[in-house]
Amino acid sequence: MNTVSPTTKTSQTGPKYWRSLDELADTPEFKQWVDREFPEGASENEGGVNRRDFVKLMSASFMLAGFGLTGCRRPEETIIPFSKMPEGYVHGVAKYFATAMPVRSSAVPLLAKSADGRPVKLEGNPEHPVSNGGTDTFAQASILNLYDPDRSREVLSGGDATTLEAGLKHLDEIASKFARNRGQGLSLLSRESSSPTRRRLQKLLQEKLPQAKWYEYEPVSFGASSEAASLAFDRGLVPSYDVSKAERIISLDCDFLGDEQDAYINIKGFADGRAVDAPGDHMNRLYVVEGLMTLTGSNADHRLRVPTSGVFAVAAALLAEALDQSSSDSSDSQVEALKNSLKQIAATANVSGEWVSEAIKDLAAHKGHSVVLAGYRQPVAVHLLALALNTVLGNVGHTVHFRSSQSGAAGTISELKAALDGGSVDTLVVLGGNPAYDAPSDLNWAASQKKAGEVVRLGYYADETSEGATWHIPELHFLESWGDAETADGTRVPVQPLIAPLFGGLSEIELIGRLLQLEDASGHSLVRSSFDAEVSGANDENWKTFLHDGFVSSSSNSTVSIGSDLFKWSKVAPSILNADTAPPPSKDALELVFHRDASMDDGQFNNNGWMQEYPDPMTKLTWDNVILVSRKTASELGVSNNDVVKVTSGNASIEGPIWVQPGLADYTLGLALGYGRTKSGRIGGFKGQAVGFDVYPVRTSSAPYIAASATLSATGATHDLAATQDHWSMEGRAIVREANLEQFNEKPDFSHNMDLEAHGAHIPHDDQGKPLPIYKHPYDARESLKSEIHQWGMTIDLNRCVGCSACVIACQSENNIPIVGKEQVAKSREMHWMRIDRYYSGGVEAKAGLTGLESDADQQNQRWIDDPQVVTQPMLCQHCESAPCESVCPVNATVHDHEGLNVMAYNRCVGTRYCSNNCAWKVRRFNFFDYNKRPLESLYDGPLAERPKDDLDIVAMAKNPQVTVRMRGVMEKCTFCTQRIEEAKINQKVAARDSGNVEVPDGTFKTACEQACPADAIVFGNTLDPESRVSKLKASPRNYAVLGFLDTRPRTTYLAKVRNPNPAMPDYYDMPLSTKEYSESMGDPFSDHHGAAHGEGHGDAHGAEAGSANGESGGHH
Amino acid sequence: MSDIFPKWTNKLPGQVILGALLVGAAVVVGATYYATPKYTRVGYKPVQPVAFSHAIHADQLGLDCRYCHNAVEKSWYSNVPASSVCMNCHNQVLKDDPKLAPVRESYETGEPIPWVQVHKVPDYVYFNHSVHVNRGFSCVECHGPVNKMDEVYHAKPFGMAFCLECHRDPAGKIRPLDKITDLDWTWSEDAAEAAVLQRENGEQLVHDWRVESLVNCSACHR
Repeated sequence: MNTVSPTTKTSQTGPKYWRSLDELADTPEFKQWVDREFPEGASENEGGVNRRDFVKLMSASFMLAGFGLTGCRRPEETIIPFSKMPEGYVHGVAKYFATAMPVRSSAVPLLAKSADGRPVKLEGNPEHPVSNGGTDTFAQASILNLYDPDRSREVLSGGDATTLEAGLKHLDEIASKFARNRGQGLSLLSRESSSPTRRRLQKLLQEKLPQAKWYEYEPVSFGASSEAASLAFDRGLVPSYDVSKAERIISLDCDFLGDEQDAYINIKGFADGRAVDAPGDHMNRLYVVEGLMTLTGSNADHRLRVPTSGVFAVAAALLAEALDQSSSDSSDSQVEALKNSLKQIAATANVSGEWVSEAIKDLAAHKGHSVVLAGYRQPVAVHLLALALNTVLGNVGHTVHFRSSQSGAAGTISELKAALDGGSVDTLVVLGGNPAYDAPSDLNWAASQKKAGEVVRLGYYADETSEGATWHIPELHFLESWGDAETADGTRVPVQPLIAPLFGGLSEIELIGRLLQLEDASGHSLVRSSFDAEVSGANDENWKTFLHDGFVSSSSNSTVSIGSDLFKWSKVAPSILNADTAPPPSKDALELVFHRDASMDDGQFNNNGWMQEYPDPMTKLTWDNVILVSRKTASELGVSNNDVVKVTSGNASIEGPIWVQPGLADYTLGLALGYGRTKSGRIGGFKGQAVGFDVYPVRTSSAPYIAASATLSATGATHDLAATQDHWSMEGRAIVREANLEQFNEKPDFSHNMDLEAHGAHIPHDDQGKPLPIYKHPYDARESLKSEIHQWGMTIDLNRCVGCSACVIACQSENNIPIVGKEQVAKSREMHWMRIDRYYSGGVEAKAGLTGLESDADQQNQRWIDDPQVVTQPMLCQHCESAPCESVCPVNATVHDHEGLNVMAYNRCVGTRYCSNNCAWKVRRFNFFDYNKRPLESLYDGPLAERPKDDLDIVAMAKNPQVTVRMRGVMEKCTFCTQRIEEAKINQKVAARDSGNVEVPDGTFKTACEQACPADAIVFGNTLDPESRVSKLKASPRNYAVLGFLDTRPRTTYLAKVRNPNPAMPDYYDMPLSTKEYSESMGDPFSDHHGAAHGEGHGDAHGAEAGSANGESGGHH
Repeated sequence: MSDIFPKWTNKLPGQVILGALLVGAAVVVGATYYATPKYTRVGYKPVQPVAFSHAIHADQLGLDCRYCHNAVEKSWYSNVPASSVCMNCHNQVLKDDPKLAPVRESYETGEPIPWVQVHKVPDYVYFNHSVHVNRGFSCVECHGPVNKMDEVYHAKPFGMAFCLECHRDPAGKIRPLDKITDLDWTWSEDAAEAAVLQRENGEQLVHDWRVESLVNCSACHR
């Protein structure tokens, strides 16, 4: 196992990191943990520097200061203007360019911000038909890849660096050689792509070099759904699903809110369907059948936990039931036969008949407004079942649409391997990808690759595949090269460069163009030629519009309308019935489930520090992957958290640490792809050791996602893991407030009954019954401070938030937030200004009779974690009006401004950390080290240690020039993106000139998190404007403040979550489990009596002044 | 009985106090001189690569500041003009003057002229030119009488206290928008009357334009 440093290599005390399950526990260790402001080690001096060293250093620095006095006049600096003024350029004003990030068979439409010539931030293109401006974490983090000092910078020939010219010359030699023999012996291996230009060049290649062979390999492919659709309708089709129009959704192991392709679009549709503003509003309902605990499962109203391989039987049961319930199809003898066979399969499903029949009844009642989704991990048979369900339920044409498939003919990697082994490949061109790392292990790719005459590799990194290549050519980032792509709906989008290539290289299409010996193989002209050839009415003006808008409007006309009568039952039935069915997994025959990692994808983000440090949405682990197991499996196998185990499947085995995941199916091992790279950069290979462990060795081409019959054995070693959750425990209070839809309809302001002050006695009141604030209100203290123009506020709708964490990375990118490394994260020193808290709840019944909470080691063995409910909550600086942090700062470094922001003056901060200690939300971050000035591996080297400047300078190019880069010893936290506020205000004032029109109109700007949120869960604006979105949301009955009873009047408030379970279902719950736990001790929040008894005397003394900023005020007046 | 302490020690307390005062005074004087912008910056007049005179261009010829510094109303940054801007006139006027050789050379070769920076605020100060000149604050308030300078020098201290002078009392400096680049302009020829008018009119403008007195950290630091 790989660790950060020898001192943390093995844990002596066993599973001390399983802290999320400690929540219920009353162990002394946990109590102590909660009582400490920072976990152990976070505030202690680490040793290494003793008093003598300190005095030595201090005297040295005083001496330097003395010398410095004579030279403290400012150094002479020069201003370098242009020689010839370029037209339309204004120095200091950022420009935005429409572009797109190509992702497998799709793309994310983007607006890229360019600050004085360098891209610094990526945002979704809100004009694009499928985008609301939201993005995903990968798109947000991709900008860091551009400035990765470890990316490939040189052409390598036989491993030795050479010039780009030499590489290009060699490509030309290859091209002319194969031009003579029509491509005989030339093979190309690429990843999936949606690029129309690549498609055009691929066709051109077939014409010019008909003997050349094209292969495609994608370690995580989302192609099963189109394979199924093409089979069922007997033509090449790509299905797309409109989640926003679906009122009832069944997910068959489909993590459409998490690791499926284009999840950000689904999140938007799903969140729109869950928005309830007033009683009686419609709300969608989500049924999930799955084995892993995914983001989608965590958002489910009903979640059925079955092994991932068992989803097939449940899907069969669902289809049989749907056919039973729909009378029209019963006349068809073919369908009747299928139904009977399905019922036999369904009998093996581990699900109650009532669950299936009620779920189908619910969907059938929403004919045409439901959707059944199957995940990429599932075999084609499950996708066929889902498609059949959609057909029977009348969804085709409503929530399910089809486009004709555009992809060209390509062989598989197995076929390529056969060709290589057969010796028929002279030249293998590997375009991107990393097959030597991620090809199925049974192919033994690295050995086969060597059998090619020569291997030319186009790669972003000189990685495992480049090691065995004859030539390696650096690939260009999408922000420095021309290209094009198609988004999920088939809309053509441009990929345009914002910067000249940093280190030189080629893009994929440029390399193919060279092999084709095209006259002009520059990316720009290749893309332009495709545009001219394929877009109707293409001319210079349209081209400019294309680049300006970032898409060709109405170019998604490849949509085909398919009647459900075209569904070929005769083709579908045998494919379903002939599907392999595995016996249910057991203790001795475990099931391996491989999934795309939320941070690493399939390994391509392995050297991205933001992604390594981004906490997994479910496990909250950073800098590691784990073997996910359920509680029952762990206890039966006798393993617990952090135990390093050996997993054997077939002849191969891997070793990794165990992590008990609540809600995971039994006898399932969840394995994240993308870690354990043997040849990565300084992040993915931190201190020379791979981060995490590689699971590809047990992944074969016959079982790429679900593998049966694996065994597990303990090795005796343990491995420390760095998790971020629970560093700030909420101890089960009403932090996230939730109700069922019926309860919300009856009592929409239920969340106010869950305010602690609604329970009276705890809060001191004055003689008029008003709560006495602990901290003086800044605007009371100084009336003149308060602005009458803007008072900023934010709402976060927990009903919309799915926990995808795009906001976390967007914030990191916008605000120059450094990464700190695993060792520091383990000490709770991560710097994210924004985190997503994730809480599990098990309900009162599940915890009844619980006696085994005493032992720390027993935490992961509690039964209630088997089927928990999950909530997620973005947590960031609440911008309290009477802020506790401000009153304890001895140097006035954190103060209130006139618009309600709690601001940090970094230059004043002396690092006492009192503010952090006094913050009830634990959202302040302290710079324990100069994270921006030195590499992570030399944090402890002291102030005089060498700082490798060049590489850090490249990373520094990703920094936002509008935000100060903080140094060691200062506190920082969410600023509400004050730089964006100021920019908007300045722009408004510049436009206002000699008028008083200085109020920024609502929606002029968004904070980085709000901007990135695909769910529109975060809304920021001026609370003084009664028409602003945020004012309206703060008036919602669901609005509440976290820890509102402290009467600090947070400017960030939350909108309570509403669940929508089906009362007819056997697993119906009459109250969300967390609310039930709450009401057990605090009383039923839905009873009127409850509110009336305590409702008086909570009037908000500052209600009028603060506008609707205070979430507590609404319900009590 | 012999003295425990020799006689000279009687003077010691006085000497110590005097010494401490001297050292203290030296520290105060030293810090003031070496470390306050009033002394470190004011009067700084570096030699520029081209002997450009603002006095000739802005005062005698009456060129508006914004002819050359054209981004000042659009950006946080007031640009130094490109050589091509100089050549707009100097391809006709003084086209062979040897003093302009570096400009012509820069224009022809594309090599920029390395002007020496005079005015600068620290990196953690996010000063924005456009919002000041578009809202009634003249160049002269920070840069001094540039139109009278043959060689540009640093006229104002640029410490935070200097910024706060106006930020605390915008009415004291605000002026009509058409007078922003008229550096000699005052409300009246008579200084006393000008001060009264500045106060009266300034308060009116601050009220009408809703100019805020921004003295919070977030106004300039991000």
